[in-house]
Amino acid sequence: MSNTHHSHTEGEYIPETYIPHAESHGTKSLWRTFWLLLAITIVDFIIYFVADPSLFRNIVFIVFGIVKAFFIVGIFMHLNYEAKFMRWMIILPAIVFLSYLVWLLMIEGNYVSLVKYF
Amino acid sequence: MSNTTTVSTESIWKGGRSPFNVSYGKLMMWIFLLSDAFTFSSLLVGYGAIRFSYAGSSTPWPDPATVFNHFPFAHGLHLPLLFVSLMTFILIFSSVTMVLAVEAGHRKSNAEVSKYMFLTILGGAAFLGCQAWEWSQFIHEGGRLDTNMFGFTQAGLDKANSLSFGSHYEWLPTDRAPGPVPFASLFFIVTGFHGFHVLSGVVINIIIWLNVIGGTYVKRGHYEMVEKVGLYWHFVDLVWVFVFTFYYLI
Repeated sequence: MSNTHHSHTEGEYIPETYIPHAESHGTKSLWRTFWLLLAITIVDFIIYFVADPSLFRNIVFIVFGIVKAFFIVGIFMHLNYEAKFMRWMIILPAIVFLSYLVWLLMIEGNYVSLVKYF
Repeated sequence: MSNTTTVSTESIWKGGRSPFNVSYGKLMMWIFLLSDAFTFSSLLVGYGAIRFSYAGSSTPWPDPATVFNHFPFAHGLHLPLLFVSLMTFILIFSSVTMVLAVEAGHRKSNAEVSKYMFLTILGGAAFLGCQAWEWSQFIHEGGRLDTNMFGFTQAGLDKANSLSFGSHYEWLPTDRAPGPVPFASLFFIVTGFHGFHVLSGVVINIIIWLNVIGGTYVKRGHYEMVEKVGLYWHFVDLVWVFVFTFYYLI
């Protein structure tokens, strides 16, 4: 395959100018993701009115939020199609650091409430 | 030509090519977005911790359904969640037009990239308009950085509990009482920080759109810049998913 009209050929690797060849995956998966995100949002809306506030309802909303995030990052932001090390470099720090923050939130939030009101 | 993604992992760190197989600019955009994700999660975790701390308080955290229940041209009707759901739809739709612009860029179709980028800019502007309206309602009803008038007296609480979707209501001065101040200040800070990201996203999109129209990327031979601003734009959508969840749903 000749790429000579590009200033950055794929054969030689120059970190500052290297741009991998990009290919279209078609629009089908993009529209499918859009309908899925829309459907989840509509289900969120329905659950909000049919179920009374509870811990379980909150967990459902958070899980739905994570599912939406997964599709936005994976399909829209194209991370599913990136190289393996690229995927992990982005996802792993996010998972580790965010779960640590949420864990702190659980412990400290309880403690603040305890000190303030009991 | 060998396909770089199918090479075994033993040789991937030996040099001569990028183990991440992305351009420098895209890698930096991802790392910036990762750090921005930490900023937003710190804000949301801070919000959560403060909200937790009002459990069992005599001035409870306001129920979002009694605060964000307006819809344009439907004054006096109790319509919780409807307007933010519309805003969510606008942002998801502008995300799909953005990714269609990126896809058109892969096919090197300049006219299509231009069309979809324009639609994305329109979506972003519509979202910002909605947020401005939402803020003006909030401020109009007594929300300030240092004041929250969304608490209830007993009379107001009884009235709030009797509301159903679409019913008429009117808050009287005797219904409302001061509530937790962080509810109002965090609303401005979190949605404001997100809204500022949307605003800068729209400005960046406009700049790149002008480049597309000017034929910059036809000359350059690739639409990598459209991909990079696309990443930023999807991130704004991603953050909104969690603002929507923690501010309006829970």
